[in-house]
Amino acid sequence: MRSITIERPVGWLAVAATAAAAPLTLVAAPPDALQGDVQRLMYVHVPAAWVAYLAFGVVAVASAGFLLRRDLRWDRAAQAAAELGVGLTALSLVLGSLWARPVWGTWWSWDPRLVTTVVLLLVYVGYLGVRGLSTDRMLNARRAAVVGVLAVVNVPIVHFSVVWWRALHQPPTVLRPGGPAGELPVLMLVALLTALAAFTLAAASVWLRRIRILAATDRDRGVPPAGAAEPAVPELIVTPRPETSGRQP
Amino acid sequence: MAVGRLVTREVGIEVAGREATTAVAPFVLVAVLLAGLAFGPAPQILAAVAPGTIWLVTLLAAAPLARGVAAAEQDEGCWDLLRLLVSPTQLLAGKLAAMWLHLLITWALTAALVAVVFPAPFPLAAIVAGPLGALGLAAVTVAFGTLLAAGRRRSGLLSVLLLPSGLPVLVAGTAVGLPGSAGMPWLALLVAYDVLMVVATWAVFPVLLEE
Repeated sequence: MRSITIERPVGWLAVAATAAAAPLTLVAAPPDALQGDVQRLMYVHVPAAWVAYLAFGVVAVASAGFLLRRDLRWDRAAQAAAELGVGLTALSLVLGSLWARPVWGTWWSWDPRLVTTVVLLLVYVGYLGVRGLSTDRMLNARRAAVVGVLAVVNVPIVHFSVVWWRALHQPPTVLRPGGPAGELPVLMLVALLTALAAFTLAAASVWLRRIRILAATDRDRGVPPAGAAEPAVPELIVTPRPETSGRQP
Repeated sequence: MAVGRLVTREVGIEVAGREATTAVAPFVLVAVLLAGLAFGPAPQILAAVAPGTIWLVTLLAAAPLARGVAAAEQDEGCWDLLRLLVSPTQLLAGKLAAMWLHLLITWALTAALVAVVFPAPFPLAAIVAGPLGALGLAAVTVAFGTLLAAGRRRSGLLSVLLLPSGLPVLVAGTAVGLPGSAGMPWLALLVAYDVLMVVATWAVFPVLLEE
């Protein structure tokens, strides 16, 4: 009930932010002097990547939360975030490829950040795969939480790879020492930040909804809401022997 | 003391069964020779790809090593007993030390082969990177190996998880070995990776033992 209460305003905020971002990114922001209109892909590519990183951060925090609390609500939060992160990483890669073709002249490059982003995608696809290893809900949650904690090491490497390896990929424009001033025209920056807000709110809305659906699925399967661990030794069921008259031969 | 005994026990298991040796040594030999053939006879190209070949082969060898992390205990049915005798931290330290030794030998064997066959220069920083890279990689291998031992299905899936997790070692180890490369930042990256992975594995290891 409470999650539905939060879900609705977040959803409406996402709609409002998207309504503001669309004209800003498609009309108001000027086209890039060299790249032309194709540069507008940035307003989707960058927010998709940003929300994906955020989602993987949530996976790490929620996985740690599950390991500490053994509460399936943390696990559901991690699963929903991982699904979101995987989808948005894939979207970010596809959009990046579409952007790279006219600008770099190639669909794919062995740029470290591209490669590590693909690796990141693989690791979290693996994370989702680990969830199906057993029929035991708590065991799957425990294993996934372990992978979620270990996998987070890839996120900072992907982010900082552009600084460490400095290859073909464009260095950070907004999140860089000294801030974004002087790199982006003001209208472009406003459009990008609005698109970032729209993507973040939309992702939050989807995440909350997915958590609710996962909780409903668990409820249908008879899993306790908070996922109290099942006893290690199942209860002994004693079936009374039917009374018999006389001695058995 | 218990950690030392665990390492001795791991070495004893390996000496008796030679599981890791028979799985890894032929793989290293064939992989290095095939890499040399694939990259061609030009000495400049071979020198350029040599550091990457060393770490790629070492990283790939971690997958069969991961399957052996708890295989002997599972086969003998003494995994639960071992967990009762020593604390999770001691068990991890023993397993980690043994795996570090395995990976270090794998790296040294690969590096020696590459140095002879390719032939390539070997900067001092690249030699320092060997033990450093093997430590972080050993931590990840023990973690995923224990996870794999507990769930026998989908071993391919867990190998896919292990290899990308060793990516920082592949990148830093390769960069350190390149001619003219600044060694210190990459060695610092390897130290950071080691600390991160050992601490993360230490934190999650007791959970893996619950299965």
